[in-house]
Amino acid sequence: MSSDARGWRIALIPDALINPPARADAVLPDVLLVLEASGYGVLQLPPPGEYGPLLAVIADQVAEYAHHGYAVVAVGVRGSSADGLHWRRLAPLLRKRGMALPPRHLIRTDLGAAAEQQRLARFLSDYDLPAEEQRHWRV
Amino acid sequence: MTHQDSGSGSTPGTQQEARRKVALVANCLLNQNAKVCQGAHYAGAVTPVVELLRERGYRLQQLPCPELAFAGVRRWWAVYEQYDTPAYRTHCRRLAQAIAPLIEQYLRAGDEVILIGLDGSPSTGVRFTSSNPDWGGRPNRPQDDWQIVPGRGIWIEELEAELARRGLPPVPATGWGLDMGRFDKAGARRDLENFLNERPGPAGTDGEGSSRS
Repeated sequence: MSSDARGWRIALIPDALINPPARADAVLPDVLLVLEASGYGVLQLPPPGEYGPLLAVIADQVAEYAHHGYAVVAVGVRGSSADGLHWRRLAPLLRKRGMALPPRHLIRTDLGAAAEQQRLARFLSDYDLPAEEQRHWRV
Repeated sequence: MTHQDSGSGSTPGTQQEARRKVALVANCLLNQNAKVCQGAHYAGAVTPVVELLRERGYRLQQLPCPELAFAGVRRWWAVYEQYDTPAYRTHCRRLAQAIAPLIEQYLRAGDEVILIGLDGSPSTGVRFTSSNPDWGGRPNRPQDDWQIVPGRGIWIEELEAELARRGLPPVPATGWGLDMGRFDKAGARRDLENFLNERPGPAGTDGEGSSRS
C-alpha cells in the first residue's frame, strides 16, 4: 500500500442528521451524501441524553485531529435541542483540550432540503486549514 | 440515496417505537481519517458500507476509534500482539463503558443490533485480526510480513466483554475486509451482503405495531 486517500477534513454530526426521522427528506438534506461528495469524514454525536463519558471520548479524538493538521467543523440543526451537537457540554471539553472551537454550520428546517443541501456543500467546500498548515502536516 | 431510516430521531429505547435496525460501525467506516498512515482507501466514509446499510434501513451508530485515542493520528502500524497490553485493554474498556449505555438502550428496547468491524485490524477485527509475535522495536519490518489470523481485535474483545458484563446478548457481527493485506472490494461487499441477508426479516414486522413509513 503506497497511497492514502484520506481527505483531512472531518465533520461533527448529530445523530439526527445521520439517522434522520422518517419523512424528513423534504426538510433535511442528505447530510451523509453531501459529506461524502465533499470528502469529509464523520464523527457522530450521540442522540439527546446524558452521554458525558462518550462526549469526553469524542473530544479526545477531535483534539487529536485538530492538533495534527486536520480541519474539523461541526454541523448542527438550528432550533433542535442544543443543535444536536451537545454543544454546551462539548465546547468546554474541547477548550480543556487546548483547541479552538470548530466552525459551526446550522441547518435550517424552513428553507427546504435542496437549498440547505447547497448551502451545506458550499460551507464544507469553502472550509479548510490555511495552506501553510496543510503543507506542514499533509505529506 | 434517500433517507432510509425510520426511527424517530429521539432518544433510543422508548417503548412507543417500532423495533429498529441498528448497525454499530467501526469508527473508520464513517471516517477514514482515523486510519493509520497509508491505510485510508476513501476520503471520508467507506461508501459501499454506508450505502448497503442505509438501503436496508439500518440506523448507523459509529463506535469510537481506540487506536486514534490511544496512540494518536501519527501512530505506527501495529499487530494484535503489540496492542495486547493491560494499558491498551484498560483504555478500550473506558471506551466500551462510554458507548455501552447507548448500545444497551437499543438492545433493551428489543431493537435488532448488528456490529460491522474492520477485518484484519488488530483492534477492530471481527472475523480476522493481524498477527506477528516478532513485531517490535525499531519499525523497519519488511512489507506485508504479518499474518491474517482468525479472531477478534482487542477493541472488539473488550467491547463484547463489556456488553456481556451488562447481561446483554451477543451482537451478531462481521467485518469489512479493509485491512486484509490486499483489499478485495467485491469480496468485502459480497460478505457483507451475505451477512445482512442472514438477518431476520425487516424490523417492525414482529407484531408490535409500527409507525414506520
